[in-house]
Amino acid sequence: MLTETLFKNNNRCCLFIPLNTPKTFINVQKFIFKVELIELNEVAKEFNKVKVLSNVNIHVEDGDLFGIIGQSGSGKTTLLNILAGFIEPTFGTVSYVSKIDHQPKNLYENFHKIKRHLGFNPQHPSFYPKLTVKENLLHFGQLYGLKHETLINNAKNLLQFTQLYEHRDKLAEQLSGGMQKRLDISCSLIHKPKILFLDEPTSDLDPVMQKEIIQLIQEVNKQGVTIVIASHHLESIEKICNKLAIIHHGQVHSFGEFEEVRKPYLKNNININIKIGKDKERIIQLVKKLPVNKIVDKEDYLILYPIDTEKTLNMLNKLIKEENLYLHDIDLRKPSLAEIFAKITAEKD
Amino acid sequence: MSNLLLLTKKNIILLFRAKSSALIVFFAPLLLILILGLSFNNTSKYGLNIGVHASSYNDEINNFLAELKQQEFNVVKYDATIAACVEDIKLGIMHTCIELPETFQIQSNTPAQVTFYVDKSKINLVWMIQDTMQNKLGIKEQQISENIAKDVLNKLTDTTIRINNEKNGIASAKDKSSSASKNTEEARNILSALDLTVPTAAYDTTILTSFKDSMVANLDDSILKITAAKASVSKTSLNSSEQKKITDSLAAAALSLANAQVLINSEEAISLNAIIAMVTSLQTDLTSTKTKLNTASAKIADSNTNLNSVKTTLAETMTLLDNTQKTLEQINTNLQSQKVTDANVISQPIQTKIEPIAQEKTHLSYMLPILLILVIMFSSLLLGTSLVMMEKNSPAFIRNFFLPIRKINFILSIYLTNVFLILMQVIIILILSIIFVKEITNSLHLLAIILFLAASIFTFLGMLIGYLFTSEETGILASLSLGSLLLFISGTILPIEAASAAIREIISFSPFVISERLIREIFIFNSPFASLWMDFLILIGYSLMLFLITLIAESIMHKHLLERFLRHHHNIHKQNSKLIKNG
Repeated sequence: MLTETLFKNNNRCCLFIPLNTPKTFINVQKFIFKVELIELNEVAKEFNKVKVLSNVNIHVEDGDLFGIIGQSGSGKTTLLNILAGFIEPTFGTVSYVSKIDHQPKNLYENFHKIKRHLGFNPQHPSFYPKLTVKENLLHFGQLYGLKHETLINNAKNLLQFTQLYEHRDKLAEQLSGGMQKRLDISCSLIHKPKILFLDEPTSDLDPVMQKEIIQLIQEVNKQGVTIVIASHHLESIEKICNKLAIIHHGQVHSFGEFEEVRKPYLKNNININIKIGKDKERIIQLVKKLPVNKIVDKEDYLILYPIDTEKTLNMLNKLIKEENLYLHDIDLRKPSLAEIFAKITAEKD
Repeated sequence: MSNLLLLTKKNIILLFRAKSSALIVFFAPLLLILILGLSFNNTSKYGLNIGVHASSYNDEINNFLAELKQQEFNVVKYDATIAACVEDIKLGIMHTCIELPETFQIQSNTPAQVTFYVDKSKINLVWMIQDTMQNKLGIKEQQISENIAKDVLNKLTDTTIRINNEKNGIASAKDKSSSASKNTEEARNILSALDLTVPTAAYDTTILTSFKDSMVANLDDSILKITAAKASVSKTSLNSSEQKKITDSLAAAALSLANAQVLINSEEAISLNAIIAMVTSLQTDLTSTKTKLNTASAKIADSNTNLNSVKTTLAETMTLLDNTQKTLEQINTNLQSQKVTDANVISQPIQTKIEPIAQEKTHLSYMLPILLILVIMFSSLLLGTSLVMMEKNSPAFIRNFFLPIRKINFILSIYLTNVFLILMQVIIILILSIIFVKEITNSLHLLAIILFLAASIFTFLGMLIGYLFTSEETGILASLSLGSLLLFISGTILPIEAASAAIREIISFSPFVISERLIREIFIFNSPFASLWMDFLILIGYSLMLFLITLIAESIMHKHLLERFLRHHHNIHKQNSKLIKNG
């Protein structure tokens, strides 16, 4: 319990540390603060001599909820597939760090041993549509060699966890899109993998279902499963991931915790949102005097894009006092992931 | 119309863009035609192995065999018995066995019998053999028929000549007979003209009797009167002498009368006039008769001359007829020497007989081996392909990648599923077959092994196709093409004997051919397992080899399949996302 609370930070889940082994002890500092599970070094991938990915140097740490974002065709799915062991990179190495000896091992050379610790959820449903929910879970669980009792327990817990228990005897194809996604995730979790890879988990789903799945992913991560998500739903990624990699034109543009990624984009990228009450026209005329690039009228509020945030804020303060303006709210908004991403793609293009 | 063209154009573009579709659509028929073309594009005769047995191999038989060899038939002599040849048919070494007669010379109304031993379960081959061999025998038959007809014609010619020769003699005999007839007619006329009528006058003999009776009565009266006169004389006065004298005279008169009476009572007592008249009449008759007899005598003399002539003529005719009879006897002897007199035998001097090498069975029995293998082949190929395609295209395919299971298990699971389904089919077929073909129960265990091996081979082939092809449609098309190819080169539709020797050698190793042969030998010929173990081994070898190839193919293809699968689904999702974005 001590370790669990110790490591519960920023949605990272606990991992059991066998402190009694000397090797583990040697690596304990690394393990506590940065326990790498998968590491990519100078990874590049070519398809028919066309470079899809190049110079990828990232790592996934234990307990991470790692997001990979990028435009369509940017190579995010390829990167996810490389991480999951589906595709071998043309250049570079992909290492998996075992929790037993903490020695990095080549993922592909040792895939037959490693794969039972991995779970993968592709974009599309990956279960047998003509089997029932329960049959699907039991089928995959049995193939993972789980003992009968363990399997039954796992299946029951998963069904309850994913709120599919009521639908356990329905054919998988008869489930709604959200339920299918939940079943898909359940199938990937039946053997309790260490890492779960999710490819576009919220695509093709309506906002309500997207929310459900996002919650489920967070719950799974809380249960101690490292999750790697490739998605273009930037809002979701921003919301749930502690770490992300932005892929653009086959290269990792940014990698790290979200705040780290956002840091370079904070300067001159803060918006001032003014919630206005009466005298809207007068206020607009007054703020036009401020050093702003653009003013966007959003009916209830105005968004100011300052040329210099500090200067603009000072001038706005002065203006409020001098003109005795009544504003409901003033909000300084940091750029969202979507905005950063838009900036990145705009810069590069 | 333009829409229709646009849609058609789109379909064709899509078809060409899908490489495997284009490949199978164009290459499947191309390959089929190419293989069939290479196999059967020759005009050489069917490469039939013909086993021959004859009680003696005389020149005539040897010549016939030499002719067969010239026709590119592989002729093998079986000296001891035809049974050995029949066994070789069962083993597929020989295509037919022919039991030839001692000679092709037809000596009687019994045709020469040629017996073919054929495997009736090879229906098309049976007809081909019959057709080919009967064509060959037809020529021989024609030769024999010609010889017999020539012989008959020679005899007829000879008969004609002889008859022509005899014609003059007969004409002469006819003339002579005519002449004899004429002479005889003349003699007949002469003789019939003879007046041999006898006078029919009635001579009245009562006259003579009356005359006699009258004479007798008068004489009796005269005698009585003389007696009375003699008595009167005694009473007269006349002296005694005188009396005596008168008495004597009266006695003398009485005596004369008595004599006359005697005379009258004798046969000679006739009336003189009557007698004269009678005699006259008789004389006349006699004269007439004499004249007639003279005339007759003359005529007879004439007739005699004629009849002499007739006799001479008839004697000559007799000679002529003797000659004719001899000639006719010679003709008869000549014609009798013609032993073949039956029109059927002349027209068909060789009688062919088709003997099945196994106990006669129903058509269904003969068809059953092919039927079973056909069902097994197509079902296994299609099911194998479909199951692999189903697994490949299953949404859960990607999940298998992470399962801690060896690839061999996936392959074996598909194989076992397929074999299970096929065996279900086989059981249904066999149960139905038992209803019609009861003897199948005798060899059920061996049949089951063969069908299992065949199902394994074709399943692995179908699975290989499933792994090699992308879409289910092209995979199924490829399976059907492979099945059709195996069927076409199996001898079921096109006789493989029409193919070149090298191709035949290759075809003989086709799993379809081997399986079908095994079932035929077990089911139709009841061959023991000992004689078939090699084929069993080949089938087992095929199964193992194809299993390994499937395993290797799956291993090679797995990464590619996975990448393709991911790419495919990724693209689908991108499209879906776009659609959702666009509302």
